[in-house]
Amino acid sequence: MREIISGILVLTGALFSLMAGVVILRMPDLYTRMSATTKATTLGVGSILLAVAIYFGELGIAARALAAVAFVLLTAPVAAHMIGRAAYFVGVPLWEETVVDELRGHYDLQTHELESVCFPELELQLPGLQVGRLRIPDRTPVAGKTLAEIELRQRYDVTVLAVCRGTYTIPNPDGDVRLLPGDELILIGPPERMDDAAEALKAGG
Amino acid sequence: MRLEDLILFVVLPAMALAMVLTFVRLVRGPSLPDRVIALDLMGTLGMGMIAAYAIAHNLPVLLDVAIVLALLSFLGTIAFARYLEQRGGP
Repeated sequence: MREIISGILVLTGALFSLMAGVVILRMPDLYTRMSATTKATTLGVGSILLAVAIYFGELGIAARALAAVAFVLLTAPVAAHMIGRAAYFVGVPLWEETVVDELRGHYDLQTHELESVCFPELELQLPGLQVGRLRIPDRTPVAGKTLAEIELRQRYDVTVLAVCRGTYTIPNPDGDVRLLPGDELILIGPPERMDDAAEALKAGG
Repeated sequence: MRLEDLILFVVLPAMALAMVLTFVRLVRGPSLPDRVIALDLMGTLGMGMIAAYAIAHNLPVLLDVAIVLALLSFLGTIAFARYLEQRGGP
């Protein structure tokens, strides 16, 4: 009975390990590879070690095997997080079909600190002006209109500096750039008018 | 089929194949973090192979080897991550 259970566990572990090997070769970018392989190996090696604990059935060996399982469960996410973080900072590219990079623009690449304001030093030099980013919500009549049609500059004295879309940025967009749901606008303007502009964009121009 | 045969003829070859596939990624790269995660995965796979081998040959002492390998692999990955972050550039 013990042999059958540990046989099934070892086989499961081998299957997941093989899957990790296939995945690390086939996935398109570092981040997808990493997310799949860490999960697969944690489960794979975990079940093999569990099989060891069940097969020998002695307290000392089972305790060591379970300690090893706990160690793998604790260290695999830490190592993956550190490598992923380092890779993001050194600029390892994302897959070209990535839809959204939520960290983009929120990390200071020099100090490695998370923050929500893009250019804090720029604001200090321009009193009376504010730089902000605004996400186009999924359900809004503004999505699908061009920048010229929503008339931010004429109505609110707010200028669009750039449109961040997925993994790329449109700098100094023309009036005929069409806004899509999920786009992020980098805006500059007087603080009180910025709020009006944000309200208008959310309400639908 | 005995458990020893299952491990020697099915489990270990499957894991060795996984090791080869991971090694291909280690050689190909393209970036240094890719190689680091491939090396990390090879360490973890090695740990699993040693544990499976311990069952097949009835050698529970090998479990300690697996634990030490996991420890070294983890420390190596952490060191690589620190180094990558300090160095900059992919």
